[in-house]
Order: sequence, then structure tokens, then C-alpha cells
Amino acid sequence: MADDATRRTVSNIPLLKTHAGPRDRALWPQRLKEEYQALIRFVEQNKAADNDWFRLESNADGTRWSGTCWFVHELLRYEFRVEFDIPVTYPDTAPEVAVPELDGKTAKMFRGGKICLTEHFAPLWARNVPRFGLAHLMALGLAPWLAVEIPDLISKGLVIHKERNSG
Amino acid sequence: MAADWEEIRRLAADFQRAQFADTVQRLSERNCIEIITKLVEDKKLDVVFTLDGKEFVTPAQISREIRDELYVHGGRINIVELQQIINVDWVHVENKASDIAKSDRGAQLVLGQLIDDSYLEHLAEEVNDKLQEAGLISIAELCKSYDLPGDFLTEELSKRLGKLIQGEMDQYNRGVIFTPAFVARHKARIRGLFSAITRPTPISTMIGAFGFQEHLLYSVLEELVISGRLKGSVVGGRQDKAVYIPDIYARTQNSWVDSFLQQNGYLEFDALLRLGIPDPSGYIRKRFKSSKLLFLRAACVGQALVDQVEASVEEAVSSATWTDLQPILPSCLSVEDTGMLISQAIRNTSTQSSARLLGGAVVVSEKFISSCLTLFDEALQQKAQTEVKNNPVFLVTEEDLKQASILTESSAPSKKEKREAERRKKAAEGSGSKAGGGGSNAREIRIRKTKKKGRREEDSDEDYVPSHNRFSSNLSIRCCSPTPDLPVLRFHRTPLTHTSCLCRPLTKNYQEVLRTVFMSSSSSASGASKKKSMKDLQEEITNLYNNIRLFEKGTKFFSDETQVHITKHILKTVCTDMTNILVNFLAADLMMSVENPCTITNEVRVKILGKLSEETKGPLLKLHNSLSGKVREVTMQLSADASTEACSHVCVCSRQAQFLHRQALTEQLKETEDPALVLHLTSVLLFQASTHCMLHAPGRCVPQIIGTLTGKIPTQHLLSAYQSLVVKQLVSQSQDRKEEQDQEEAQGIRAQLRTMTPQVKDLVLSQKKASVSED
Repeated sequence: MADDATRRTVSNIPLLKTHAGPRDRALWPQRLKEEYQALIRFVEQNKAADNDWFRLESNADGTRWSGTCWFVHELLRYEFRVEFDIPVTYPDTAPEVAVPELDGKTAKMFRGGKICLTEHFAPLWARNVPRFGLAHLMALGLAPWLAVEIPDLISKGLVIHKERNSG
Repeated sequence: MAADWEEIRRLAADFQRAQFADTVQRLSERNCIEIITKLVEDKKLDVVFTLDGKEFVTPAQISREIRDELYVHGGRINIVELQQIINVDWVHVENKASDIAKSDRGAQLVLGQLIDDSYLEHLAEEVNDKLQEAGLISIAELCKSYDLPGDFLTEELSKRLGKLIQGEMDQYNRGVIFTPAFVARHKARIRGLFSAITRPTPISTMIGAFGFQEHLLYSVLEELVISGRLKGSVVGGRQDKAVYIPDIYARTQNSWVDSFLQQNGYLEFDALLRLGIPDPSGYIRKRFKSSKLLFLRAACVGQALVDQVEASVEEAVSSATWTDLQPILPSCLSVEDTGMLISQAIRNTSTQSSARLLGGAVVVSEKFISSCLTLFDEALQQKAQTEVKNNPVFLVTEEDLKQASILTESSAPSKKEKREAERRKKAAEGSGSKAGGGGSNAREIRIRKTKKKGRREEDSDEDYVPSHNRFSSNLSIRCCSPTPDLPVLRFHRTPLTHTSCLCRPLTKNYQEVLRTVFMSSSSSASGASKKKSMKDLQEEITNLYNNIRLFEKGTKFFSDETQVHITKHILKTVCTDMTNILVNFLAADLMMSVENPCTITNEVRVKILGKLSEETKGPLLKLHNSLSGKVREVTMQLSADASTEACSHVCVCSRQAQFLHRQALTEQLKETEDPALVLHLTSVLLFQASTHCMLHAPGRCVPQIIGTLTGKIPTQHLLSAYQSLVVKQLVSQSQDRKEEQDQEEAQGIRAQLRTMTPQVKDLVLSQKKASVSED
């Protein structure tokens, strides 16, 4: 489903071991630690490959995550806010990533700006529970979605570069 | 547990740190290329990228590389090759190479190749090696082997001549380099060869034969000729047709011409041309300015020869003979030139009026010609006499022809016609003589004889005689040259066939003589006795006319067929006689009369009629034509013919005529013994006696006459018996006497006839007496 670069990237992200959700008080910190390690690794890797494309931070208990992501198209950088909650059934169900700015602009999105990942990503995720974590979510979920949707939206004029808009 | 969370917090911090750490700025290849392109575009960077796109090269690097490559390749490298090695765009390489060629004094760009001084030095050394080996080397050859342009090579090599290259370049032809040794060798060969030449020689053949270097040869040759080492000159510049003419040759030529002229007294232009003198007459004029030479069409003649010719001409004139100049003159002179020379000589000796040039080379004095003419006088006279006696009609016509032919002789085109006319005339003569009788026959023979003579004469000298001359001479000889004269001329050794000058006066003389002779003869005949003859003629004509009328009357007793026969007979005999007499009389006026009018034939009559004046011609022509018609028409014609005084109507008693006729017939009868004639005469006489009409009938009409006589005379059975006997005899005579029995029978008949003949004669004679007494 994904290209070679992505596959390589993903293969370099360490797999997670702990099967625990936020509700599992005992094991959740363990899980969260693994999540962080994977994310750090992923970010480092991206930076090494000059492919840094998002910022993320979470609340204290690590159930709610927010940040920004950006996409470079035709030498212009388009930046969007991104946020998602860790569902209670996590890691059995994948978190639903939302890009609120694009709410209502594309059909491939649920209400509230949640991107539609069910078709490809959900089965993949389901197969890889509990080994996939948030890093995988970003790499295999949000990144392909952005790569597909943003140029389309730009060409449709639904997404306009801020500088140009202002300028 | 708390530791865990602590750990988590630490990890979150790490995460944040990781996220905000500097990203390694990595540009993709694509971006790099774009950036550099942008920079190059903005002139902020001066680089050149290689053709495979993997490297950027600065111009300085390129020029350094070019220099390196140049060195590696030994000082000469093709830019194409260079471009492949350096692997940047062609334009950059070329620019850099030209920059180098401009900036660096030692390097230059030739034909897309960068060439170094070191390379040229090397090349010069190589060339020198080759040169020393071969002695001569051509730039063109070097061009081929080094693949460099000739101009460049010439320039570079000439710079190094004498330093690196031990040799020199031809001044005129800069395409060759040679060593002094080679030049010396060549020079020696050329000197030797051209010293040996004694006749004009094309230089190109020398080059071919001895393998000289053309450029070198010319310069060396010129040098040698100028320095005087070679005695000769080169004509024709430096091209293929250049010819070397040695002085010795010109000298020999001149001496040959001098000696030839001295020995032979003339110079033939053709001979000079063969010697190689292009403009003979100009050459001669220049060479023999002082001596007087006579220039002819194809030769020039010296004074000595002219003098000689003049002398012989003078001699011929003064001694009244002729001279053939052919042996004196050089044989090579053409006929035209000979003519020019001789006429010049005649002019010089001022003997134009007393000498004549014949046949191109024979000079005859006028005196000689006139003396020749006198030789003919007697013969002409004789011939004219005989001719006049023979047949003046032929003579006249022939004379006319002759005059016509002389008139047209000068105009060549009519010659053929003339000849044909002549032939026709001859044919006519032939037939005329056949019918005409003894006189003209004899003449014909004589003509043939002379002709034969003439032809023989021609044959012997045929080489000199042009064909048209032959014709005219033939004609004139035929007409005027009496046979005995030919030997006379031969005796004089005159070039007889050049006799056009002789022939014309002769024919003229002959005509003259003929005319006088004829005039004298005819005038003596006609002048005094003209009136008398006129009277005779009248009488004769009248008699004949009467006879004809009476005869015609006689014919009316017969049937149509017989009548026709008889009329024809009358026409053929009596009428023709009468016409002839008439015509002859008129012809006498024109001096054409014939001695015996009876010999005039049809053709002759026509000829004479042609000569007569228009006035008399018409009626006589009609008369002549009617001779082939009916007798009545003839008589009518005669009576109508008022213009001829001969036809004045004179009435003579018919009885007298009858009597005369009968008398004549009886006389004839008395004399004859031939039974057929006896029968004929008897029957005619009987007819006259019984009908009192005269009859003039042919023999085959005898049976009809006897037929008409039956019943009119008592003795008819005797006559018919006699007739049958005559018939029998004639039949047996006409048959071949093969059979013996017939012989006897014939003898019997003859005996019978013999006995009967006197009886039959008596029949008439006795009757005659009776009739006489009756009268």
C-alpha cells in the first residue's frame, strides 16, 4: 500500500510490545514509554532524512495529543493543526486523527475533521495490534492522507497558502 | 509507578527536544541542480556541467584540462576528441580552445585542431628527415600525410627552412621543398640534356621521358638560358606546349632555306611549314629583304628563275615558235602559280600582244599561230568545194548548229544539251543518208573517217585536254579539219590539243570560205538563168498538174477500193515529184537547192521548209502535209497556192496530154518483154483507148482494170487468158522451185506467154493505129 520509502521508514520504527490502553493503569505507562520511544525514533529518523513534517505533544497522562503538520507543495509550505484522542479501546482501535481546518472541504473526512482512514489503514492496524503505535499512525495514516488530499485540495482552490492569501 | 511516569515525562521532554532539534538540511539532487541553474542564470556562479550531468566544472578547470590533454597528445589534438575526453559541451571546449590559441603564442587552432609549437618542431624534423632521404618533397604530399592545410604547412615550414629543414623552396612554385644536392643533380641533367638537343622539342615530352620536376625544370632552364650556358630559347611559357628551340636549329633552318633558294631559285611555302616555320611568307620577307623575290600563291620564286622564264618567252616570241616552260619551272609549282609566273614574265618582257599562254605552261607566239592557220587554207578550200557539191541542205543546217554551238561554247551548263543535240542530229543524218542516196552516204563515211582521226589525236594527248575542250575540238575537227592537216601539225610538234585558239579561227575561216564558195557556185547558177528556169518550172508544173487531174478523172471508173489504191499511187509518184520540184525551186533562192529534185525525201523537205520565209512556208507546208492525204486535196492545194508563181493556171489541151501519155506508154510497151509489165501497160492503154481517160495505176490494180474493160473490147478473152498465164507464172516464180514437175509446167507457161506476148502487143498497137486514124 505504501511506497518503498515509507515502508523503509516504518520498518525502522521500533515495534511496540505492551498491549495496554489508558484504562489499564498498571501497564499504560509502560505502553506510553514505548510510544514515546517510537515517536522519538521516528522523528529523529525523519530529521535525518530531511523529512520533518509534524510536531506533536500530549497532555500529562498521554490520552490527548495535539500539534501541527505541514506539507510542501510546489515550494510552498502548507501548515495544518492536528489533534486526536487515544480511544479507551486503544490499542485495539486506532485513534481518529482530526485536521479541523479542513473540515467540510473534502469528502474523505468525518464530521469534526476526522480523516477517513478506515479503508486501508484500519485493517492494517487491526492486523498489527499491539505492535503499531502512534508513530505508525502518523507514518502510515496521516502522511499518505496528506500526500493524496492536499495537492487535490490546493488545485481545487480549497486550500490557499497563507502568505499568498495575505499577500 | 511514579518512576514510570517520571520516565514518561522525561521521554516526552526528549520527544520535544527531538522534535525541535535542527533538522539536517538535506537538499535533493533535483533541488541542487535547480539551485545551481538559478545561480548560473543569475551570473552568480560560473560553472559548466559535464554532459552526463554528474559534475560541474569551472572554466579554469576546462582550460587546464585542455592544456593537459594537449600535452599528453603530443601537441596536437582535435577538438572533437577533446570534447569527448573532457566531457563538457562542445561550445565550451571550442571557446576555451580558441581562448588558448589566442592567449598562448605557441598554440594555434588549425582545421578544428589545437596545435602546439612543439608539435610543429617535431613535424619539421620529420619533414627534414624525409627531405634528406628523397631530395625533394612536395607540400601536397605532406598535406596528405599530415592532414593539414597546404597554406599552413607552407608557412610553418618556410619559417623553419634553413633552421630545422635543410632545403629550399622553389621560388615560382611554393609547393615543393628540395635539397641543394637534389637541385644540383637536376641542374646537371637538364644542362646535359638540353645541350644535346638539336631540334625543337616540346618540354612536356622531356618531362615525361626523363622524369624531371616540372617546376624545377622551368626555373633551371630559364636560369641556364639567361646565363648563356644553353644556346636556345624556350617558347610558349610554362605550359604544356612550351617548346625548347636550340639556336643551332634556327641556324640550320636558315642555312637550309638560304641554300635551297640559292640552288633552286625558288622556295616552296609548304616546305618551310614542314621545317617548322609557322608563317613562311613573312619569314621569307624578313630574311630576304634585299633580294627581289616574286611571291606566288604557294611559293616564291627567285630572280634567276624569272629571268630564265623571261628569256625563253622572249626567244619563243622572237623566233616565232613556241616553247614549253614546264621543264624549266620547278615541278612543285601549281598550275595557278605557273600561270602567274609566266604571265608575269610575259608582262615583264612586254610581249603581251605577240605571245599567248596555252595549257598553263606553253607560250606560243602569235606569229606561229597565224602561220599554222595558213597551213589550213588550201585544205579548207577543197573541203568547202566538196561540201557544197554534196548537199547544201545538210551543210546549212550543220553550219547553223556549229554557229550555235560556238556561241554557247563558253557557257558550260548547256554543254550536255548541245552534245545531245549533236547526237540527235547525227542520227537524223544517218537516217537521211540511208534514204537519201549516194551523195550523202559518201559524206557520212567521210565524216566518220575524220572523226576517227580526231579521236585518235585526242587519245594521244588526252592528259592535257580538259573534257570540254575535247568536245569542242571534236566538233571543229569534224567540221573543218581535213585529214591531211593533222600530220602537218604533228610535224610542227605543236601541242595540237591546245588548239582552241586554232580551232576557232579555223572554223571561222572555214565558214567564210564555205560561204564564198557556195555563193559563187549558186549565184553563177541562178543569177542569169533565173527567168528561164522559172519558165521551165511553170511548164513542168503545169504538165504535172494536168496529168494529175487527168489521172484523177481516170480513177473515177473504178470501185471505191480500187480508187483509193490508185489515188495513193498517184500521190506517191506524180504529186510528190511535183512538190519536190516546187520546193527545190524555192530552196534555190536560199542556195539550198539539190541537183536532182527526185532525191528529196520527206525529211529533207521538212528541213527546207523550215528555212523558208513565213510567207511561202504556210502553203507549202500544207502541200507537204497533204501528200499523205488524197489526190484531190493536193490539186486543190495547188490551185489555191497563189503565192507560188509556179502554179499559175495554164490550160493545156487534155487530148494532147493523153496523146503524149499514150505515146510514152506505147514506147515503153514496145521495148519491154516482161509479161507482167506488158500486161500492165496493155491494160492501161486499152483502158485509155476505151474510156478516153488517162490512168496512172499501180501493178496490183491490173485485175480491176481488166475487169472494167470486159465488155468494152472484143479481144477480152485473149487478154484474160494472158492474164491467167501471167498470174500462174508469178505464182510459180514466187514459190521455191523445188519440184521438177513444176519446172516443166513453168516452161510450158513461159512458151505460151512468149507466143502470146506479140499478140497482146499487137492488140494494143493495132488499136493504137486505129485510134490514131480515128483521131
